[in-house]
Amino acid sequence: MTYTEASLKEALEKKLQDISVDILVKRSKRIIITTSRENLKKIAKLLFEEFSSQHLSTITARDTGTSFEVQYHFIIDTIMVTIKITCPRDDPTVDSIVSLFPSAILYEREIHDLLGIIPLNHPDLRRLVLPDHWSEGFPLRKDWKPAGGET
Amino acid sequence: MVQVKIPIGPQHPALKEPENFMITLEGERVIDVDIRIGYTHRGIEKLMESRTYIQNLYLVERICGICSFAHSANYVQNVEEILDVHIPKRAEYIRTLFLELERLHSHFLWIGVAGHEIGFDTLFMYTWQDREVVQDLLEMISGNRVNYAMNTIGGVRRDVSEEQKKKILEAMDFLEKRTEFYKNVAVNETTILARAEGVGILKPDIAKKFTAVGPTARASGISVDIRRDDPYASYAEIPFDVITTDTCDVLGRVVVRVLEIFESIKIIRYLMDHLPEGDLKIKTSRKVPEGEAVNHVEAPRGEDFHYLHANGTDKPERYKVRTPTMANLPAIAEMLKDSYLADVPIVVAAIDPCMGCMDRVLLLQQNKENYRNSISWDQLRRYGIQWYAKRGGY
Repeated sequence: MTYTEASLKEALEKKLQDISVDILVKRSKRIIITTSRENLKKIAKLLFEEFSSQHLSTITARDTGTSFEVQYHFIIDTIMVTIKITCPRDDPTVDSIVSLFPSAILYEREIHDLLGIIPLNHPDLRRLVLPDHWSEGFPLRKDWKPAGGET
Repeated sequence: MVQVKIPIGPQHPALKEPENFMITLEGERVIDVDIRIGYTHRGIEKLMESRTYIQNLYLVERICGICSFAHSANYVQNVEEILDVHIPKRAEYIRTLFLELERLHSHFLWIGVAGHEIGFDTLFMYTWQDREVVQDLLEMISGNRVNYAMNTIGGVRRDVSEEQKKKILEAMDFLEKRTEFYKNVAVNETTILARAEGVGILKPDIAKKFTAVGPTARASGISVDIRRDDPYASYAEIPFDVITTDTCDVLGRVVVRVLEIFESIKIIRYLMDHLPEGDLKIKTSRKVPEGEAVNHVEAPRGEDFHYLHANGTDKPERYKVRTPTMANLPAIAEMLKDSYLADVPIVVAAIDPCMGCMDRVLLLQQNKENYRNSISWDQLRRYGIQWYAKRGGY
């Protein structure tokens, strides 16, 4: 079945009616689902099972100053569906979705490495991009400043 | 049977970039692969937060030397989306022209690298010679062979003249003839067949599961192409085919790329025949209003993903890049399993990996005392000796 933005939104709303979510068609080919972090795995599972999405483009995280915003970009039928969740700075944990989307393994390691967001039940949380002996915090957090200014 | 672990890399495993493959072998067979990246992490995402949108144009281009235009086109698309501006048609066409010229030179380069990996250096010499024709075109229009600095927010910086158009079309005729020759070589030459057929198998379900992108996915029969699926620049108006094969092996990846060269030539001819008149750019504000944009483009290696969060100033709040090599990495591990050790280089090379793209951050240290960016040769030597001594070396 091929979806349009409107029909996909409708189908998502129908399947997600028990979960508190906010679904927005931002522009053509872009749908954003805003929800709380407890619902992440449930929705990811639904996208995988009901909408046969296997394509997780990437996971983006950013530091808003007071919390972390984590976005999961899936592709369903050429439409990019983004799940947007937030987690507080003093408890930076999210559920890992590796069991559903194996390609998430590297992206979850990346946000763990650079922002210190901990994916719970992740099978392998070694460093990804930073050196093994790195002990100086999380470079992509806003309060992290590089030494010696810019090069 | 005894299992043996051997490290391939980080010094130039199969290609001239650093990455580490820890391979577990049973005899000649690969049992397991562990991949370690990050050796060229340059901190570009962090750096971008402290630079203006105009400065970032030139930084983004330097993420990768080969697909630099895909990155900069993606970046300007994100900024333009938040600014809510539509660039002139002519600028869109010139952007598309560069995207396709870039695909041409990248694919020629890759065919050469693949030839080199299987010990077929004649092919390497041939394709790299032909690649120079594309490089000359890029230099003719932009003034640069790499990092063309063509994009700007709101359009492009240089025009294509009538005379240049003629030269581009002549070059396409030449390259088409050459590619016919490579097509013939790819499917008939015994050296290639012996080393590429049935090697590095990636079945469609595995490719989907591990989110393979670009020619790697298309060689496994998955019809994905951002140019068609989520058109950007002027791709919505241009007729072209998405090439797939179902052999799922390295040979398929060669064939897909060779046939994609024909498609690129077709697209470039269409662009030159239909190049609209008009301005090259429009003026935009230096500050970008608050907002978020996500765009992906089909880089020569696959889906290149960019995310921008703007905060109303002249600098981005957060910028994120996910390059196609990163997406293809889990698939490599799958392809290598149960293959022969001798096939590792060509299987790795077959996704056309680009480590510089993937890593993106420079070693920055927070404490000034530990600041090790400049280190004397003597210090480095002592550090190296201590490093090995601590781990039981001499």
